[in-house]
Amino acid sequence: MPSVETKYFRRISYETEALVEFPEGLPGFEQRRRFLALQFEDSHPLVFLQSVEDPGLCFITLPILAIDPQYQLQIDNEDRDLVGLPLGRPLRIGDDVLCLAVVSIRESGPTANLLGPLVVNLRNRKAVQAVDAESGYSHQHALVPQEAPVCS
Amino acid sequence: MLMMARREGETILIGDDIEVVIAHIGRSRVKVGIRAPRELAVMAREVKLVRDENLAASARSDTALSHLLTHLRPAASSSPPRGR
Repeated sequence: MPSVETKYFRRISYETEALVEFPEGLPGFEQRRRFLALQFEDSHPLVFLQSVEDPGLCFITLPILAIDPQYQLQIDNEDRDLVGLPLGRPLRIGDDVLCLAVVSIRESGPTANLLGPLVVNLRNRKAVQAVDAESGYSHQHALVPQEAPVCS
Repeated sequence: MLMMARREGETILIGDDIEVVIAHIGRSRVKVGIRAPRELAVMAREVKLVRDENLAASARSDTALSHLLTHLRPAASSSPPRGR
C-alpha cells in the first residue's frame, strides 16, 4: 500500500482508489494534480485534500451542503468535459459528484470559497475547481459556528 | 474608467503589445479575444479571486486548524487542558 507524508497527519498509507485527480490542477496550483481526500472522526465534517506530490500542500475543505444546504451547483461544459461529467443536465451533489468548498482562516474568522467549488466526479474521481462568475456566490463566505438551533 | 463602444469584430489596442478583439456578441455574453505578451497573466477576475483564495488557504498552519475546529464546534473546546 503506498504511503505519503502529509501536512497535518505525518505519514499515512492510503488505497489508490482514495486518490482524486485534478487533470489541470487548481488555479494557483496548476502542477498539483493528485490529492488524497481525508476525513477523520474528530474533525468531522472537514475534508482534508492532501497533495500527494507536495507534503506541504493540504487544503482544508467542507462539503458544500454542510455550509449551504440549498447550494446550486453550476458547472460549465468545458469543466464537465474535463472530468467526464454528462452535459446538459443538473448534477446531483453526493450522487454524481462530491462538492467541496476550500476553507480559509482569516483574522475575522474562517471563510469558505463558494465561488470556486471543488467538484469531484464520483464515477472516475476526476476533479476540477469550477469557477462560475454567474453563480453569484462569494469567494469569502463567512462560516458561522454550529450551535444549537435558535428558536424564532 | 475609459468606456468605448465597439461592434463585433472590432479591436481595441492597449499600448503596443496588447490587442482586445470583440469576437462575438451573444444575447447575454460577449466573447473576447486577447493577444498579449506571454509574461502577462490574462484571466477572468473570478479566477483570480479563486486563485488568491487558494494561495491564502494553503498557507495555513497547525494552530489555524485547531482554531478552525474550535470555531466550528464550540463544544470541542471545552476539553480539559493537558498537563505538561
